Amino acid sequence: MMSSYQAGLVADGSILLLGALSVYVILSTGQLSLGNAGFMAIGAYLSSWLTVSAGMPLTPAIVVSAAVSAVFGLIIGFPALRLKGLYLAMATLGFGEMVRTFFLNFEPTGGAGGFSGMEHVPLWYILGWTAFVLACVMICERTRWWLEIRAVNDDELAAGLVGMNTTVTKLMAFMTGAAIAAVAGALLAHQNLYIEPGNFGFDRSTEFVLAMILGGSSLAAGSIVGAALLIMLPELLRDFVDWRIAIFGALLVAVLLVRRQGILDRNVFGLAKFWRRAN
Amino acid sequence: MLKSMMTAAILGVAAMTAVPVAVQAEDLTGKTVKFGAIVPASGPFAEWGRANTVALKMLEKQVNEAGGINGAKMEIVIYDDGAKPAQAVSMLRKLADDDQVLAVAGPATSSAVEVAFPVANQLGIVSVSQNSSKPGVAAANRPWGFRNTVDEAKLARLVVPFFAKTFDVKKAAIIYDAKDATASAAGAKIFPQILADNGIENLDADTPISFNTGDLDVSAQVTKLRSLQPDAVVLSADYSQAITVLREMKRQGMKTPVVGSTQLMSSAILAAYPELPIVAPTTFFAGLDVPAVKTFTDGVTPLMRAEKNLPGTIEPSLFDANIYEIVSLFAQAAKEAGVTAAPADLAADRTRIRDYMASESDFVGLGGKVRFAADGDAVKSFFIVQAKDGKWTSLETACSSPEADACAQ
Amino acid sequence: MGVSIFIQQVLNGLTLGAVYTLIALAFSLVMGILGILNLAISEIFMIGAFIGFSLIMSGVPVWLALPGAMAVAAVISMVIARIGYEPLRNASHITPMLSTLGFSMILQNFATNTWGSDPMQLTLEGWLDTRFHFGLVSLSVVQIVVFAVTLGLCVLTALLIQRTDIGRGLRAVAENRDVSRILGVRPRRMILVAFALSGLLAGAAGVLVGLHYSVITPYIGVDIGLKAIAVMIVGGATNIWGALLAGPIIGILEVLTVAYGGAAMRDFIVYGMMIAILLVRPQGLLGGSSKTSGGRV
Repeated sequence: MMSSYQAGLVADGSILLLGALSVYVILSTGQLSLGNAGFMAIGAYLSSWLTVSAGMPLTPAIVVSAAVSAVFGLIIGFPALRLKGLYLAMATLGFGEMVRTFFLNFEPTGGAGGFSGMEHVPLWYILGWTAFVLACVMICERTRWWLEIRAVNDDELAAGLVGMNTTVTKLMAFMTGAAIAAVAGALLAHQNLYIEPGNFGFDRSTEFVLAMILGGSSLAAGSIVGAALLIMLPELLRDFVDWRIAIFGALLVAVLLVRRQGILDRNVFGLAKFWRRAN
Repeated sequence: MLKSMMTAAILGVAAMTAVPVAVQAEDLTGKTVKFGAIVPASGPFAEWGRANTVALKMLEKQVNEAGGINGAKMEIVIYDDGAKPAQAVSMLRKLADDDQVLAVAGPATSSAVEVAFPVANQLGIVSVSQNSSKPGVAAANRPWGFRNTVDEAKLARLVVPFFAKTFDVKKAAIIYDAKDATASAAGAKIFPQILADNGIENLDADTPISFNTGDLDVSAQVTKLRSLQPDAVVLSADYSQAITVLREMKRQGMKTPVVGSTQLMSSAILAAYPELPIVAPTTFFAGLDVPAVKTFTDGVTPLMRAEKNLPGTIEPSLFDANIYEIVSLFAQAAKEAGVTAAPADLAADRTRIRDYMASESDFVGLGGKVRFAADGDAVKSFFIVQAKDGKWTSLETACSSPEADACAQ
Repeated sequence: MGVSIFIQQVLNGLTLGAVYTLIALAFSLVMGILGILNLAISEIFMIGAFIGFSLIMSGVPVWLALPGAMAVAAVISMVIARIGYEPLRNASHITPMLSTLGFSMILQNFATNTWGSDPMQLTLEGWLDTRFHFGLVSLSVVQIVVFAVTLGLCVLTALLIQRTDIGRGLRAVAENRDVSRILGVRPRRMILVAFALSGLLAGAAGVLVGLHYSVITPYIGVDIGLKAIAVMIVGGATNIWGALLAGPIIGILEVLTVAYGGAAMRDFIVYGMMIAILLVRPQGLLGGSSKTSGGRV
């Protein structure tokens, strides 16, 4: 039987996993987003406002928030088409900071004072959403659409030449990522029962990227490992007391040095299949 | 109004019925009574958490040397939350479930408290914050959330008139940290109201002057303040941010007296602008001339300074005093309410501690009597202090509750 | 009254802008040449501030403390280059960025344990504590030092990049690593040079911030680092002079927003401006052709 402490960590890990997946979907087309905390904020605030002030049940509230966030994803995605690499990353970073500053000054949702009044969601509900999103992404990975996404990532010019609509693919990825981040935000809000702009800063965006890269950026399953690691490691390092953050940082660098492609990659899975066949 | 009075009356009755009947204390020799603490020992407030830890370890030793709790050994399980809400909740759950503690001191920051208190209610365990003074947080999380701090609004109501009289203030300007929930509530709502109530003109009422936590540069804000030519400046910010403002005032040669909330209380403020009169309310400061405070300060200061990862000049802060009081109160509650410390009685023991805290106890903290009002915040005497010649000087003693003799010894 | 307040605010903005310029330049040396975002620069800046502070407090004169702190910052930066960047240079651009994030955590934790999390304050004495008054406008000696050092370091960096062999080597690596090797440039050494220069500038910014604002904590790098990234983008990451132009622009924009609008909208406007520049002129105000902007992630 899980203690409520372990259950809490599982919930935190699930929400982080959703965040990592939101970055994963966008990154699969070769676009790095450092502003997904912004989409998360939109999901958290909008869903909370819907359930608390508008009296909407949670599930439709999450769906609405995800849809609205996807529209923001589209708005950000369009100009992002012009930008590449780290320049796009910095544009999204700017977007994230702008969303945070907006909520800091937006009095209807409490401004700096934060927003509360949500109803607590049980763990199974969070796990349900996470499993649903993860399944969707993993099924997508096996479709033709995903091949197009990978093609855009590998060589955008060539993908365009063979008649793929790279613009639509990239925009879709941004919208999907934004929607997933919004679901993560909505679940966070209804798990913590209190949200404030400080929850959605640059550190949150980088945590998502970190979870995804650590776990392995070439497949969705990698994010599970990354999220689990980022949640567990600080707990396991408690014995180091005053130095635990430094040691966490050092381990991070070490993992990246040893496995730059992330802990999981397609080869690891391929190897497993090979073993099964061999035996 | 009528509704709130009725609520107050009902709560009052509830509080009276909750007064514990004197319990015959059971002898607990050989057992262990466990309490928990959540402190920010890493991250931007690491110093608070590490100092808190030293104060708690000292208390643990003192209680056990004095015979423990009805013969049982007292143990304080201390966890670091890095001032992060998610970690504070994790640690609260861990303390309640894995460590099976009877009550928890902390978490510290208001952001963490906002998220942890609902969980304390869910789990049915007392959680008492040592720092949080954001208005209304404990009140929203009855019956298990408490704070050994006084709501800034209650303090400001007494401090501002005193300050205005002392420095002959007719017009004042407010500057506040808009990113800090407590400071912005005080700066944008509480102080403007109190200035108005006292007939003091608020010079920046239309365009409030604010800055953000973490800002290095507040020169534009201070230049703007200076151009308003106020008699006094109301500075609503945590001391670490307030120092930046005071330094900038010094640089720009602004000599107007400053008044603020408890958030200003720290020995660090004293060095920022020693020539300037700075007035704030507090329930504790290291130089306070009260026997209990002296004993505490003399005991804990050398221990803190011996700590490798704390600065060698550190002094015990208001928060150290608060958390020391919180766990002292837990110990007294465990003694007097007759906890059994048996695993089977865990829920009952936790309820005993909560009921004891909610009742009119005769607990005496460092600065005098401490009890908890129906809104979960502490009622205690406080001091209006002024920074002078590098130390805090007490100008006036007051009580955070308007009721007569609420703070009397 | 109105005019002198305005002039005072512009001076305030220029001082802040000078700090932004130096940190932005530190970012752009690594970004422009190696194409990676070194997030640890914010923390190298912070460490520089603490080293400078400690040296000045223990009686070392400012003209010695400044190069001392800059040297320490450069060494830290070179260590990050060797451990955190070199082995990962063939990975995607995200991986080295995240490894520098790991170094940020280490540096913050180290500073917290060494100097405490509470603000550390410096009291200036003697000539450093002097101020000049022109009517209602005032200017401190430290502010003049900040302007002079910033301008001096920008000019030196530009000369180094544009006129020396080291600079030619750096530019060759920036263009094409393999070709540069054919031309006899040792890329590994150039990477170290780029990181060292970046560290020197961030360290100098730290000392200047310590001197001018005279209060620092282990967390001062976080927000200012993000702003400096915005400054780098606005000025153009591939041009040394971009930061010198964009720093004061953003500094003055911030200060005037606070002075005549509201502090609340400040960050919104700064990041909004960054995004606007990215959309209209991704190479920045002074950047070269848009072709060079941003590699693949």
